[in-house]
Amino acid sequence: MLKLVNLSKVYRTEEVETTALNGVNIHVRDGEFVAVMGPSGCGKSSLLNIVGMLDTPSSGEYWFDGEEVSKYSERKLADIRKRNIGFIFQSFNLIDELTVFENVELALLYHDIPARDRKERVKAALDKVKISHREGHLPQQLSGGQQQRVAIARAVVSRPKMLLADEPTGNLDSANGDEVMHMLTELNGEGTTIVMVTHSMPHAQYARRIINLFDGQVVAENLRAA
Amino acid sequence: MFRNYVTVAVRNLVKHRLYSAINLIGLAVGLAACILILLFVRNETTYDRFFTDAERIHQVVIRAQLPGRSPDVVASTMVPLGDAMKDAFPEVELRSSMIQQGVTVRGGDRLFSETVFAADPEFLDIFDLAFVEGDRATALRDRSGLVIREEIARKYFGDEPALGRTLTIDGQHDVRITGVMKDLPANTHLRFDILMPIDGPAVRNIEALRTQWGNISATTYVKLRPGVDLAEFNRRFADWSKTAMPEMRSPNGVIRLSDIFTPRLRPLLSINTDPLNTQMRPGTSMREIYTFSAVAVMVLAIASINFMNLATARATQRAREVSVRKVVGASRGQIVSQFVGESVLLTLIGLLLAMALVELLLPAYSAFLGKELAFDYGDPGLVGMLLGLTLIVGVAGGTYPAFFLSAFNPAAVLKGASSGVGGGSGRLRMALVIVQFAISIALMVATAVVYGQFLYAQNKDLGFDKENVVVLEGLSTRAMREKARPLAEQIAKDGRVAAVSATGITPGTFDESNTNVRMPGRDSSELLVIRSEVVDFGFFETMGMNLVAGRDFDRDRGTDIANRPEWLRPGGQRPPGTPENFEIPASVILNESAVKRLGFSSNEAALGQSYNASAGQGVSFKFTVIGVVQDFHFRSVRDPIAPAHFFVDPTQFDAVAVRIKPGDIEGALGAIDAAWRDFFPDTPTQRVFLDDRIEQLYAQERQAATMFAAFSGLAIVIACLGLFGLASFTAERRTKEIGLRKVLGAGVSDIVRLLVWQFSKPVLLANLIAWPVAWYGMSRWLESFTYRIDLNPLLFVGAGMTALAIAWITVGLHAAKVAQAKPIRALRYE
Ligand SMILES: Nc1ncnc2c1ncn2[C@@H]1O[C@H](COP(=O)(O)OP(=O)(O)OP(=O)(O)O)[C@@H](O)[C@H]1O
Ligand SMILES: [Mg+2]
Repeated sequence: MLKLVNLSKVYRTEEVETTALNGVNIHVRDGEFVAVMGPSGCGKSSLLNIVGMLDTPSSGEYWFDGEEVSKYSERKLADIRKRNIGFIFQSFNLIDELTVFENVELALLYHDIPARDRKERVKAALDKVKISHREGHLPQQLSGGQQQRVAIARAVVSRPKMLLADEPTGNLDSANGDEVMHMLTELNGEGTTIVMVTHSMPHAQYARRIINLFDGQVVAENLRAA
Repeated sequence: MFRNYVTVAVRNLVKHRLYSAINLIGLAVGLAACILILLFVRNETTYDRFFTDAERIHQVVIRAQLPGRSPDVVASTMVPLGDAMKDAFPEVELRSSMIQQGVTVRGGDRLFSETVFAADPEFLDIFDLAFVEGDRATALRDRSGLVIREEIARKYFGDEPALGRTLTIDGQHDVRITGVMKDLPANTHLRFDILMPIDGPAVRNIEALRTQWGNISATTYVKLRPGVDLAEFNRRFADWSKTAMPEMRSPNGVIRLSDIFTPRLRPLLSINTDPLNTQMRPGTSMREIYTFSAVAVMVLAIASINFMNLATARATQRAREVSVRKVVGASRGQIVSQFVGESVLLTLIGLLLAMALVELLLPAYSAFLGKELAFDYGDPGLVGMLLGLTLIVGVAGGTYPAFFLSAFNPAAVLKGASSGVGGGSGRLRMALVIVQFAISIALMVATAVVYGQFLYAQNKDLGFDKENVVVLEGLSTRAMREKARPLAEQIAKDGRVAAVSATGITPGTFDESNTNVRMPGRDSSELLVIRSEVVDFGFFETMGMNLVAGRDFDRDRGTDIANRPEWLRPGGQRPPGTPENFEIPASVILNESAVKRLGFSSNEAALGQSYNASAGQGVSFKFTVIGVVQDFHFRSVRDPIAPAHFFVDPTQFDAVAVRIKPGDIEGALGAIDAAWRDFFPDTPTQRVFLDDRIEQLYAQERQAATMFAAFSGLAIVIACLGLFGLASFTAERRTKEIGLRKVLGAGVSDIVRLLVWQFSKPVLLANLIAWPVAWYGMSRWLESFTYRIDLNPLLFVGAGMTALAIAWITVGLHAAKVAQAKPIRALRYE
């Protein structure tokens, strides 16, 4: 699915240069469920942003589905991203002005899908995360766990090959967090590749492989028995 | 997709009501102002379009360069010019000269004073005016025919048909109605009620006028054949006129009229936007049109800036939405078009509100302008222009925010719980606020200068006292003129009247006669042309004019009257055997300008001096200066004061000026009317108050100044609205900071000062831009006035302070509210 070769990311501000990623080599196969762990500031989010093509690396190669994309233009990246990648964030990032249904539908609007199909797919996605009964509500009217379920529905409704999740359970209590993890596992079971950043060891256990980052470098990869 | 955009846009509008309201109100008011100005401009620039072949119709105008006077272009010509040019130029297909005459008209038992235009029959071939009765082609070709307007027909004949009916002009000429015209539309420069053929029986003095090349009293129109190059034609026309205009010989020397008068054609379609003295109806100059268009653009610019500013300020609140859209696959182009579209949508709503405002204001606006303005929804040009305007404002207002918003890096935005992003565009927002206030301050200065100049003109010492003076006019026939003095004497007997004088001149009118003066011992080839006006004893006293040297005319001195022999009156013949150098001695009073023009070293030095001027038929006046009157304004203070002399010639009076004692004005008017009826039972009185007449000279300027002030005021209001929005936005964004400051011990006044200062800086900086621009612009504007105010630096400081005060009030109100809130609320906000 993706291969990072000697990938680095350096943030340059006026005063300081921060090396967020330093020669990272990672290989994720189709259908894998990978968790990324490490202390705060070690570069987890930076890694995920690059993998999700929201950002570009400073050096190194990024192979996605057999294509080297690290030098691609924003427009080209946006196109690959749109067809292949779904995102889940720690802070849900639902749009306040849109209802649950509309928030999920948003992910299909940029995909040339006829309105009727769109409706069906949104309903299916909402069913899957068990939030259909709230489809007319606005995000503020939902609990955190419900909001994250909507965010998951939004991430999967466009049927991406890969799901990226940055601390998806970070803002949730353990019961809600567990539920989100069950859903991710289920999605993985259906074939979606997942890369997830987390601070929670128990949640990392849902993944088949754990990558440990420290100071921008991969320090350990634990393959767990399936 | 589109529905989703609209949903988000509308929900955002509703959610952020304050911003939406500020944006919409600002836009609506700005657009409404723009539309009102647009309607005005469109109306002014489309006069006379409806005439067939309008682009081939032209008016002859004359550039008059009297020696010693500044050149003047007038919409009048000499009667013989029209025929002469038709003979000389095959390009002239049709021509018509017309003259104006005051007459009395009797129809049955109805009697009125009317102003009649006597025109060549081709007038109605040039202007295809709509007729309701009769045949336009032949109506003026019947010598004793008469064409009247519908309204005039009703005045004399009620609802009965007027065609073929008879009217009596001046009590002696019976004429037959050969045509009834529809009332003239509002958008033509033509203004008349009654037309008659120029060779008709009721036209006075026409034979003499046909030979008088020095008498500029006709209006001449021509229709050129297709394809004539106007500039080239005008060159040949001017050349031709040099030989076509004869020389005038008098005992005082030879005057070559071609040295003084140069004719040219101006297109019918430009008459309304190139107003000249003596045209039938005052127009609106291109300069005014450009000024108002510029004001419209500025008002709209201010509204657009509001829009841009509030949109970018709010952008941070929509950063998350943009980022999410990007994450799920929106391209930058899609985001940009979403926000531009949103902005255009908002502008369209603004346009709808603006249209409602326009419909609401249009009746009052039309009445104020004295025009028939209407918004014609079927006019594709107008509707197209509006939609274009909306698109421009929408796109201009939306593009910057769109690009600003679409450039957010989603990774950074989506990281935290807070959707706020540092207001990176804060500096640009302030720059835009500076621009807005610079425009507002410049407009304030401009308004103050325009109004100041207007008030100055209005209150300037005119050299006479315009209050409580009634002028009786309409002494149109020779018989009536000769009764002017007896009428004045009759009126003087009433105790409510302070002073009376017959006169040949009244301030505020445009008629003037000029004469060439010959000073003894001076080279006679030098033209010394001055205005030559006739007054009666007591005129200066009646008008409240001041003699600054010498004495007034005296009834008891025989030589104070210019005794014209009978044969020197209109229509008379010089008897054979009159001595070659026959002279009429007469006393004369100069105005101060004439003292200078004639080269006397001082007012006193002029006293007792003599010079000659033509009296017609080879006869000279021998004038002796007995006094000097302080310069007074014959016309608007816009026009320089012409050098003039005044003498007493009882055959030439055409008006009586009456100064009434304050108190019983109604009674005095009654007595005046009674005296008039005794003298002229067959002519209705025509009287005007002098102050009304003077006021009329400034009506146009007053209107322009008021309009300018109103629209500038609007611009300032809209700018403040924007500032209010921005201030409330900033206050809201700084709620947490303000809460913290209060926790740390800041008082309400500290907080208010903090916010007020933040918005004082741009207003102060705006002055630095506005002052030089306004100074330059208004100096240029004032240059066009002969008598003008100085630019007072205090005006600029005042405008700046006003802007600052307005900004303070706007921001301060808001800041106080925010600062007074309990800090805990502020801290809980996020
Ligand atoms: N936009 C940026 N500009 C400059 N430096 C950045 C930027 N984003 C991240 N960094 C720096 O890069 C390093 C890695 O940051 P990153 O957000 O990837 O850490 P993280 O592992 O996700 O931390 P956490 O667990 O707290 O989310 C940090 O030192 C951070 O300060
Ligand atoms: Mg992180």
